[in-house]
Amino acid sequence: MKRPWHLQNPELLQRTRVELEERYPDLHLSAEINTVYVRGSFPVEHGGEVLDRFQIQVELPAEWPSVTPVLRETGGRIPWSSARHVNHDGVACPLVPEEWLLSPNRDSLVTFLDGPVRNFFIGQSLFEAGEPLPFGERPHDRDGLLQSYGELLGVEDEPQIRRFLEVLSRHEVKGHWDCPCGSGIHLRKCHMEKVQQLRKRVPPSVAAQALKRLG
Amino acid sequence: MNTSEYLQKVLASQDLPDDSAELKALQSHRKDVEDLLRNYFAKSSPTIRYGGSKAKGTLIRDDYDLDIACYFPHDDTAAGATLKDIYNNVATALGNDYYLDKKTSAIRLKSRDPKTYATDFHIDVVPGRYTDSKKSDAFLHQSSSDKERLKTNLDVHIEHVKDSGVVDAIRLLKLWKTRRGLRVKQFVFELLIIDLLGKKKKDALADQLLHVWTELRDRTEAPAVEDPANPTGNDLTPLLKAEWSSLSAAAASTLASIDTTGWESVFGKVEEKAAADKVAALRSAAAAVSVPTKPWSPPE
Repeated sequence: MKRPWHLQNPELLQRTRVELEERYPDLHLSAEINTVYVRGSFPVEHGGEVLDRFQIQVELPAEWPSVTPVLRETGGRIPWSSARHVNHDGVACPLVPEEWLLSPNRDSLVTFLDGPVRNFFIGQSLFEAGEPLPFGERPHDRDGLLQSYGELLGVEDEPQIRRFLEVLSRHEVKGHWDCPCGSGIHLRKCHMEKVQQLRKRVPPSVAAQALKRLG
Repeated sequence: MNTSEYLQKVLASQDLPDDSAELKALQSHRKDVEDLLRNYFAKSSPTIRYGGSKAKGTLIRDDYDLDIACYFPHDDTAAGATLKDIYNNVATALGNDYYLDKKTSAIRLKSRDPKTYATDFHIDVVPGRYTDSKKSDAFLHQSSSDKERLKTNLDVHIEHVKDSGVVDAIRLLKLWKTRRGLRVKQFVFELLIIDLLGKKKKDALADQLLHVWTELRDRTEAPAVEDPANPTGNDLTPLLKAEWSSLSAAAASTLASIDTTGWESVFGKVEEKAAADKVAALRSAAAAVSVPTKPWSPPE
């Protein structure tokens, strides 16, 4: 079994600890065998004021940062319901995981907290006050994945999304392959430039993970 | 505002008045749970007692709870032959109406309603059996511990904390512990604070907190903590030992931040926003987000 990230990369652990201490002093990091946990009170801040607080646990699994941090609200305040974007095991889904994995700062826990986590709790706070979610929401399950991957790839229908992900999941791309757009002509004569541009943004591992998630 | 006034304001902001929505909900659930247990175990005539932070005077808004002790007579077997059976039977009794979060000795009650699934009712049911006919000491089942049973006494615990003379310090340190996500068991932490402040009861609140944090930071090992309900029988030190390095690190960073940026770095500002102002501020926070993200829900 591969060693967990914090044992392989103690510098990243130290950087994460220092950044967390500086930005979120109420959150406390502890390394436990294969997993690093961050627990405490997450402040929803704006303009120097704390508008709300949520008790949270963020799990950084052994494979982090190649996988998304796992967020839970631990104060028992948010129902475990798809309507609130919390799974039935208590895991919150602030975004489609691959969206985070494409972030250039995916190895920065503080960026994850400042971005998707803060956005998620702003939304939850407003929802509790009877307001709509401020940034909208993805449809549930596969429809949400297709919407997200479709936006990423610039295509709409599922067969095209799958074919583009197939091509992107390869480490090499051949010009004589059929173009994933479905035109029936060779890639080099069709969407090769688009594929090359996407390859700069979407690593094969993330494309493969997206395909696996689609099932 | 000096430090003492600031800490008093923090304490006041953590009060939950009896007519607050949170405590009203707690009272309503308390009645439901008591009725349910009395009906289910009618043959056993359990004694239902209340403990937890409300009874001890250590309640804070950020982390409040009610302990409902459900103790069976020492010679009753209808509720279960063993302590483990009692624990499991009480869980069965509650399981139809509540989502259960089973802890070492207690059973935390949460919502089973799909709309509010798993939201916390802040109630722990603690099943047990009295040790004798005096109905004072009780044995509790321990599901995740070397020792299968724990001898305890609800009244002794409540009185020990209530009469400690350091309840304000306990409340603020509980807030600190909660905000920092520190996982040391609350009753062990309370006993530790009472021990550490044994000779500091007349000190100013700020000095008491600084003393506790300094001790946590500077002691290389967890001190021995005695359970007043069972001084020779319950060794609480392992519970403290397991969390000592986290407590110590958190205390060190807290002391450092007080030195550099003052007390507000520990407990934050205490001005409460009106609900309408809060919504307006949240809307404004949302409008200022440069990279919005949309939440998603994976398949169940």
